[in-house]
Amino acid sequence: MTVPTFAPLPSADAPAGQPTAPIVLDGVSRWYGPVVAVNDITFALAPGITGLLGPNGAGKTTILHLLSGLLRPSSGRVLIGGIPAWRNPSVYRFIGLVPEREAVHAFLTGREFVEMAARLQKLPNPKEAAAAAIRTVDLESAADRAVGGYSKGMRQRAKIAAALVHEPSILLLDEPFNGMDPRQRLHMMDLLRTMAAAGRTILFSSHILEEVERIADGVLVIVAGRLAAAGDFREIRRLMTDRPHTFVVRSSDDRRLAAAFMSEPAVFGTELRDGRLTVRVQEFAGFTRSVARVARDAGVSLFEVAPTDDSLESVFAYLVAGR
Amino acid sequence: MTIFATITSVTLRALLGRRRTLLMLLLAAMPILLGLIVRANDDDLSLHILGQTIDGIVTRTVLPLVAIVFGTAALGSELEDGTGVHFLTKPIDRWLIVVAKTIVAGSLTAVLLVPSTVISGVLMGGLGRDAIGVTFAFALATLIGSFVYTAIFLVLSVFTTRGLLIGLGYAIIWEGIVAGLLPGSQVFSVREYLSGIVTTLAPDALPASSVGAAGFLYAAVVFVLALAIGSLRLARYEVRGAE
Repeated sequence: MTVPTFAPLPSADAPAGQPTAPIVLDGVSRWYGPVVAVNDITFALAPGITGLLGPNGAGKTTILHLLSGLLRPSSGRVLIGGIPAWRNPSVYRFIGLVPEREAVHAFLTGREFVEMAARLQKLPNPKEAAAAAIRTVDLESAADRAVGGYSKGMRQRAKIAAALVHEPSILLLDEPFNGMDPRQRLHMMDLLRTMAAAGRTILFSSHILEEVERIADGVLVIVAGRLAAAGDFREIRRLMTDRPHTFVVRSSDDRRLAAAFMSEPAVFGTELRDGRLTVRVQEFAGFTRSVARVARDAGVSLFEVAPTDDSLESVFAYLVAGR
Repeated sequence: MTIFATITSVTLRALLGRRRTLLMLLLAAMPILLGLIVRANDDDLSLHILGQTIDGIVTRTVLPLVAIVFGTAALGSELEDGTGVHFLTKPIDRWLIVVAKTIVAGSLTAVLLVPSTVISGVLMGGLGRDAIGVTFAFALATLIGSFVYTAIFLVLSVFTTRGLLIGLGYAIIWEGIVAGLLPGSQVFSVREYLSGIVTTLAPDALPASSVGAAGFLYAAVVFVLALAIGSLRLARYEVRGAE
């Protein structure tokens, strides 16, 4: 993908008429009493797909709610197409929001639900627009059934159809792939790529690295309400990979293997405790390439090599500490 | 279909859930049941007793209860369960949502309770001219009360998730006890406005009300004020339950 994801921030005294980024958060914080949910976040997005990545509870939903005018920023500016999102229903003409909560009026059929969205958007031909949106998300076969009987994935697609029905230039999706089966997930990823290629700005949240990796041009990493990293996905991926890792190794002779590891440049520490060998390495890829060779040269049989800290939370913690 | 019609039709279908409808029908049937019992045991009631009876069963009991249920469910429940977001994230003025939902909730309350009031009034008071006058006065008061009460409870539900509980507290404690003990507080009691409306139209139905004919004005002012406050509040509404 060549579509740029990040855009320059507009200055406060920018002349009127100057083109602005579709999405701007400028020094935005949001707190609930003493609890800070979002802490001084600044970014501007241009058309393309951006992943909002972070562990559960990091503040991703709060950011999407701020962008969709459903929360007031405690400080800073949230601009959609150059105008404030808060208390400004006109922004919903070019925003499509897919909330994480599944809540949809259970008595409506999928078609009625999407038509309702089309009517509330004042579209000239709501039935036709709803039919097109339903076709886009591949929900035609279930469109005339009540939403109350939908699976989680079907509800998700109905919500996406309702968000797309007025062909918004900005699409905000909160954990959009939740509940979808692999085929639906691929279909939705293709759809988002097509929409981004058509010039739309898409921001979606996820706590799953692979989802973001597969479709996002850029990534915003949110940890504990702070923007831990932002930029091209490959760069963030490199940061995540080239960080200190810890492995637990089981072998035929842990003591001899520990000594051998210490001569490796990628390794900066070993520990033998409670009958297990822990190896701390500077660089993930370098160690995984050399571990078999080191064991063979030392005449030791390897039984198991397992990373201990590969959870997303530990990756995020590293990114935050490194800032 | 206009935006207003879209909001009202979805709200109407949401409010007419099976269990809720059944419960509200049972409540609306209570005055009729009482009327049947009175009719089976006695002749027509005197105007004063007729007035006290309809006032006790409709104005003081069934009307606030039905209005609390419909009023808080029309908007507050949707904000609570997340379905309200589908209205809030559309390019429509928030006052339109408040007005449309109040009209639906108020109309449903009135559709259930005005006929119930008329039928029970006729059963208990008969078809004499004065008795019909009392029945009509209560029917009109019930119609007005349906909209005023639902507007208040709907707005309450935008402010708090405990709208149902606080609404019950208002109806039982404020209107039932405080307004009876402190006459000055009656200007803040919808029940008193309705009593004023009834006594203006049928002076023999109830003891004289402290608000009198001003009940019409108070009811209108409170209704408009509730819609205005609800619209302002919804315009600044922030979703609950974010990370």
